[in-house]
Amino acid sequence: MMEMTGIKRHYEMASGVVKALDGIDLQVKAGERLLLLGPSGSGKTTLLNCIAALDSPTEGTYFFEGNPVPRNAAEQMTTFRRDTIGFVFQNFNLLQDLTVLENVLLIQEIAGVIDEKRARELLILVGLENEIDRFPAEISGGQQQRVAIARSIAKKPKLLLGDELTGSLDSKTSETVMEVLVKACEAENITTVMVTHDESLAKYATRVVRLDSGLILSDNPVEN
Amino acid sequence: MSALLIKRLFRSLWRTKLRLFSVVFMIVIGVFSGISFGSYAITANSLYDVIYADTEEGVNLPDLWVETHSGVWDEANASTLCTNIETSWPDTSLQFKFCEPRLKLDGLTFYQTSSGEEKLVPSVWHGIDEGLVDRVWLPDDECCEGRLASADNEIVLDEHAASGMGFEVGDSISIAAGFGKMDYTIVGIGFHSNHLYFAQEGVLMPADAGTFVTGYMDASGLERLSNYSAGSANLLLIDIEGTPEYDLQSTTAIEGVQLSLISEHIASNISQNNNSAIQVYDRSGVDSVEFLRADAEGAIKSYPYVTGMLGLVAGITIFLSLQRLIQSQAKEIAVLRTLGVRRRSIMPGYVIAPLFIGGVGSLFGVILGYFVGAPAMSEMYEDIIGVPIIETFIPTSLILQNIGIVMVIVFISGIRPAWQAAQMQPLDVFRGQSEIRLSSRTIQRLTAWMPATVSLSVRSSLRKPMRLAFTFFAVGISMLIFGSMILMMGSIDEVVIGGLEERQSWDSQIYISPGGEHEVIQWAEGNDVNYELLLQFPANPKDDSRQIISQGIDEFSTTDNGAMQILVLKEGSTPQISSQTTQVMVDEGTAHFLDWGVGDIQTLEFGSNEVDVEIVGITQGEISRTIYFHRADLVEILDFEATSVLLVLPEGVEIPADLAENTLGIMVKEDIINSFETMMKVQKQFYVAVEGLGTILAVAVLFNTLLMNLAERDTELATLRVLGAPIKSIGLMMLGEHIAIGIIGGILAAIFSIVGTKILIGAMVQWAFFFTVQANWPVFVLIAGVVLGISIALTPFGMWRVWKMNLVDSVKDLSN
Repeated sequence: MMEMTGIKRHYEMASGVVKALDGIDLQVKAGERLLLLGPSGSGKTTLLNCIAALDSPTEGTYFFEGNPVPRNAAEQMTTFRRDTIGFVFQNFNLLQDLTVLENVLLIQEIAGVIDEKRARELLILVGLENEIDRFPAEISGGQQQRVAIARSIAKKPKLLLGDELTGSLDSKTSETVMEVLVKACEAENITTVMVTHDESLAKYATRVVRLDSGLILSDNPVEN
Repeated sequence: MSALLIKRLFRSLWRTKLRLFSVVFMIVIGVFSGISFGSYAITANSLYDVIYADTEEGVNLPDLWVETHSGVWDEANASTLCTNIETSWPDTSLQFKFCEPRLKLDGLTFYQTSSGEEKLVPSVWHGIDEGLVDRVWLPDDECCEGRLASADNEIVLDEHAASGMGFEVGDSISIAAGFGKMDYTIVGIGFHSNHLYFAQEGVLMPADAGTFVTGYMDASGLERLSNYSAGSANLLLIDIEGTPEYDLQSTTAIEGVQLSLISEHIASNISQNNNSAIQVYDRSGVDSVEFLRADAEGAIKSYPYVTGMLGLVAGITIFLSLQRLIQSQAKEIAVLRTLGVRRRSIMPGYVIAPLFIGGVGSLFGVILGYFVGAPAMSEMYEDIIGVPIIETFIPTSLILQNIGIVMVIVFISGIRPAWQAAQMQPLDVFRGQSEIRLSSRTIQRLTAWMPATVSLSVRSSLRKPMRLAFTFFAVGISMLIFGSMILMMGSIDEVVIGGLEERQSWDSQIYISPGGEHEVIQWAEGNDVNYELLLQFPANPKDDSRQIISQGIDEFSTTDNGAMQILVLKEGSTPQISSQTTQVMVDEGTAHFLDWGVGDIQTLEFGSNEVDVEIVGITQGEISRTIYFHRADLVEILDFEATSVLLVLPEGVEIPADLAENTLGIMVKEDIINSFETMMKVQKQFYVAVEGLGTILAVAVLFNTLLMNLAERDTELATLRVLGAPIKSIGLMMLGEHIAIGIIGGILAAIFSIVGTKILIGAMVQWAFFFTVQANWPVFVLIAGVVLGISIALTPFGMWRVWKMNLVDSVKDLSN
């Protein structure tokens, strides 16, 4: 589905060049659930940003479904994200002025495919059928993250990216959220790449890639 | 109070430079305007004091004028009257000083324009003999030159006329005063207290160049022109020791009780011993003196409000900015509080910050006001009034007063945010209870049917109702500055130009001495010229020195039926001729100031003659106080037929010179319209500047709110961008939001402007100058449209800001 070769992301700083990514080769197949693990500063978030076309690599090639992913062109990168990528954040980042249902509908509107029936089905899928008219501040953190998952898959992305998506949740809620994520992605046939510190989440992945100092240390499938 | 905490706060403020600059800018404008207007007011006031002073340099303005409107007194008669006044001086603390008989006549100047066209210009001639009081003013300034007239063929021309018509010392001028044309040599160019405000009698607007002349001759010079015997007079100028207080037309209080008593005493004394219809008045009865005083008084009264209003806009903006700053720093404040920093250490910084902003703004405002605004206002005043400003006054007290107003406002605006910061509960902040207030359920229900992007815009806009309300209030004040100019100028234009063009069909008004109408009528009938007699005479309400012009007209018309004057009937009906109690109509200004209404019976004084009148109607559209009689009714009271003749001149017919020579002056309607338009042109820059100022303030207020909204929604917008929302979609959302804010803000601003202007005008109008503001849809739409336009125009900036957003950094924030 996606293929990165020799990806480098270097930052010119006053103190010298920081090599956040220093030659990453990564292929992801459709349907995989990839977990990026590594300590702080290992480059996993930078890699996620490059995958999402939020950031442009300094070197290397990046193809998605055989097509080069745009770089250094803000609106083309935005279009790529809109058409291809779903994103779940650590802090949920729901729009506080919109209800649960409206948060999901908003993303459909942006993608130009409004389908309220599907939005409601997704909310049922993540177990929020009773919360659809509530505002984000009126539901729990775990519920908010489930809305974020429903929101991110509402426009049928090919690739769902999660950055420390259980980082703000307790372990029990994290489990629930991850179960919902897996269920939803399997139901929708969405490929997933998640960044985390939490080794315990490996059980929800089909493959674990470990990074350090901008390089891949290991890349192993997960036996479930 | 920790210096580090204050340093931290100032660094935070510096991070919001754009907002900071917009607030400082508003304060600069507030102080600048206050100093400019204030300096103008004080300078004008001081100038009049210098001109009117009883010194070698001043003109020694009389304290009372006795004027006859029925012919002139001969020398013996005038002298007797003066002696009587002196000998029968009432027993008051005010001491008689001088009584000087004076001749003042209306007339004409025969003027050849640069294109060779012969023009008859209405004029006023003064015969000034002794000059003990009311001398010609020849200031030591480049405006003026020459000397006073001393021979009977010499004249000093008023500077307004000389500069407007290109006359110089040594030139010859042909003039008349009802008894034929004569030539005089101009020996000086100066000013006279009756004509500092250079307008024809009964006309509010300063005369355009070449439409009005005044000249000051030796008494023998005017006697030669008018064919009157030596020592003839129609005015007695009475000077009292010192400068006694006199009744101000702008107040209902009686400021000059003693002077009023003397005035009444003189009026009654003369009417007992002399048959002439006389009028005794103080300085408030001299149009030029009263207009200039009212103008300076209005400026003195209004400049603190101008500063205050602009300061208030700045204060609101500071208040909102500080609130936003505190909200964005809530976590920092909570941490500080948790670490043991006391409330009283948190608060001072947030109080000092606005004072610092106010101080910086005031400093620049003072510099600009002192070196740019005040001199510019003096220059503009010279252009409009045509009187040289000898010295521009910018007293320290004025500067301190303006700074004081601004500092008090900014201090107050900083107190609540500072208190809020100090009262923050760390636990509430950490639990997120001090964060964004959610849109209400009601708003959610009301907007549920909308697409999510639209409802998000609406709800985001209404998320902070208090901020929005304050923003609208500040925009409203800004637009009040903009709108009041448009509304005032529109209303004055409607009253002056609309009144003349649409409701006055005459072309020329010929002033005549009593009985002089026959010659004009004869000529008019012989030349197929439509005419109408007009009888105008000053009157005043019983026991009230304020002057009303009584106007006797032949035809009362409230519709366009060919009458030469159409009256706008506001209330009641037109008078019936020869009623048992004389029926009259009064203008709405008279009704307003005297609290007269339809059905009232009131007593008017024509000199010492008291007349009861019944008010049957109230008219609209007169700037000066006017009372309308059937001319026949007024003739019975005054015992003469007319003071002027209105003429509608057919194409190609002009008033012949030999007829003009024997009149007291000719007023040409077109000249009045031109004068007004010239004045508007001169003042246009000023109006445009004030309108621009209001617009800039509105831009600054809306810009500030937009910046705060954007800053507050950075996370939301970043989320949308990361999720793939194209800049176009976000732009459309912003546009929708700004259109909504623009429409609501625009409507509120228009209402605010109209209501505010009505209140302002209500407080500003005076006896000598009354008009009402007529709100109309085009003005309403214009004001609302400006706000909407500003709001929409700010959208690209918002889009640019989102466009420049660093999404990588944003994602870091979203994931931390």
